[in-house]
Amino acid sequence: MNLFTLATRNLQRRKGRTLLTIAGIAIAVAILFSLLSFSAGYEQQLTKEMDSFGFHLLAVPKGCPYEATTLILHGGVIPKYLTTGDLEQARAIPGVSAAAPMLLQQVIKDGAPHIVYGIDPATMLPLKPAWKVNGRFFTSNESRVMVIGSTLAEKEHLVPGSIIPFGPAGEPYTIVGVLEPTTGEDDNFHFLPLADAQRLFHKDGLITAIAIRADDVKDIPSISEKLEKIPDIQVVTMAQVTGTIMNLVGSARVLLFTVILIAIVISAAGITNTLLMSVHERTREIGMMKAIGASGYHIALLLLSETILITLMGGIIGIIAAIAGSGLCETFVRGIIPYAPAGSLAIFDPVLIVECLAFSILLGLLCGLYPAWRSARLSPMEAIRGAWE
Amino acid sequence: MSIITTSGLCKNYRRGSEVIHALRGVDLTIGAGEFVSITGPSGAGKTALLNLLGCLDTPTSGMLAINGVPIAMREEKDLVKIRREHIGFVFQQFFLIPTLTVAENVGLPLVFAGKPYDTVKIDRILREVGLSHRADHLPSQLSGGEMQRVAIGRALVNDPAILLADEPTGNLDSVTAEGIYATFEALNRQGLTLIIVTHNPVLAKRAGRIIALKDGQIDVLPVQECIPPPSGV
Repeated sequence: MNLFTLATRNLQRRKGRTLLTIAGIAIAVAILFSLLSFSAGYEQQLTKEMDSFGFHLLAVPKGCPYEATTLILHGGVIPKYLTTGDLEQARAIPGVSAAAPMLLQQVIKDGAPHIVYGIDPATMLPLKPAWKVNGRFFTSNESRVMVIGSTLAEKEHLVPGSIIPFGPAGEPYTIVGVLEPTTGEDDNFHFLPLADAQRLFHKDGLITAIAIRADDVKDIPSISEKLEKIPDIQVVTMAQVTGTIMNLVGSARVLLFTVILIAIVISAAGITNTLLMSVHERTREIGMMKAIGASGYHIALLLLSETILITLMGGIIGIIAAIAGSGLCETFVRGIIPYAPAGSLAIFDPVLIVECLAFSILLGLLCGLYPAWRSARLSPMEAIRGAWE
Repeated sequence: MSIITTSGLCKNYRRGSEVIHALRGVDLTIGAGEFVSITGPSGAGKTALLNLLGCLDTPTSGMLAINGVPIAMREEKDLVKIRREHIGFVFQQFFLIPTLTVAENVGLPLVFAGKPYDTVKIDRILREVGLSHRADHLPSQLSGGEMQRVAIGRALVNDPAILLADEPTGNLDSVTAEGIYATFEALNRQGLTLIIVTHNPVLAKRAGRIIALKDGQIDVLPVQECIPPPSGV
């Protein structure tokens, strides 16, 4: 038997009250852990997704805000276009190693939107070295052929060789290849030869954006400056895109952190109140313990142990609940944030788990300090008489 | 050989603006191994005296020595050490921890004293107070007399030289109280100094000496005025 045993047993006295306090802490820690996990996961997946695009700059039509640019990267369609003339000017800029044109369009199939990328394999494939295809990739001058993403293929039960009606006129298209999973948005897209896509959607000579790769990352500012001089073009760097997206979700994050802070303050007030009630009820017992040899240090240690046990249990339960409910939480988060990268958003970093448990202990210490201090300095005689003040 | 000596021991309390003179100059010598009853009417100062003798409180003025060591005006940390090493307490309300077993309640002072949790010693004490068969029970499963025996066992576990009891049979029926007193007498025969506050004149007479208090003084002694320290109480 030791003080820890006594602290553990003391928690069993008012089980309902202890469980409610633990539940309060668990909810606060679960929200905190989820937010931090999602925040870290979001940033990591976003960076990964930006890297997977394989280019440094995106040339988009002038007047296209950063928010719209992020939509382009995610398969969104905007009603403004560049021309093949713009593409030629971009390619002529010194330091540009590749400039890959893209035409993005959307078709509705069975009520669901499908994103179509018209690409030039000769320029796009070098930007996507991670792409692996089951079957083959099309060539630039083919028509009525397509490569599709793995998720799309699985959902639509399509394999290389499948023929599907496609486009506004329902023309027969042959699936010549299926991309292996990329864990990015590419898994959901249809890829067509650029010229064929322009024909299919009546956008001859038009492109939505140009993905540009620099020979050297040091050249990005000068290439960007030269691109901006082309009248139709606005340049967005991938760093700007990442920053814009992080800004977009940042406000939601601030709001959530505020909610968590309030939840934690309420929980902390609840714990402190519970402890004060608990020591008030046990004033005579504290007096007895002092009479039989307990020092103020023992009493403070006992109460702090009880508090830390409560908050630590709350922390553990909260983290388990957060991990168990992460799937549901991710669905909710994806529904409310403006841009969600592909892949799992929640990352359960062991360091984060330790940090959240440490936070629980710190919360316990902070909440327990005042009740512990008051109990420790009680006069044994006054305490035996039941006098709390 | 005296184990407790007091001289001119005074204790004042403040209740609002009123000063209560709980003890007014008590001179007392208690020998090692004595069995002393402290009696007197309510408000006579019995509990105040016991609290001072047990180092739960400090005197307003006067001298108190335990084992020849003056302890008046010492800091709380020194008083804790004296309580831990020399004194055992038994209270009227038992004050057992409801979630600890009988054996754990008895062993609790060992934890505070930083001593090993000696189950052999706890078993021996439980035998002495007649509760071996109840070692694993919780206080809620015990009778009033059994709870007080647990409290006595708890008071004995640190091998104190002095056992102080404040109305130890106040919550017990006469038969149970008789059993508790028999236990006290047995402990006294083993050399333990016993100081018991009681209202019960029959039980008080079983002690070797009765100290009667009245209005904060030992009944037969002349009244002394107490001079409070500059800080007041």
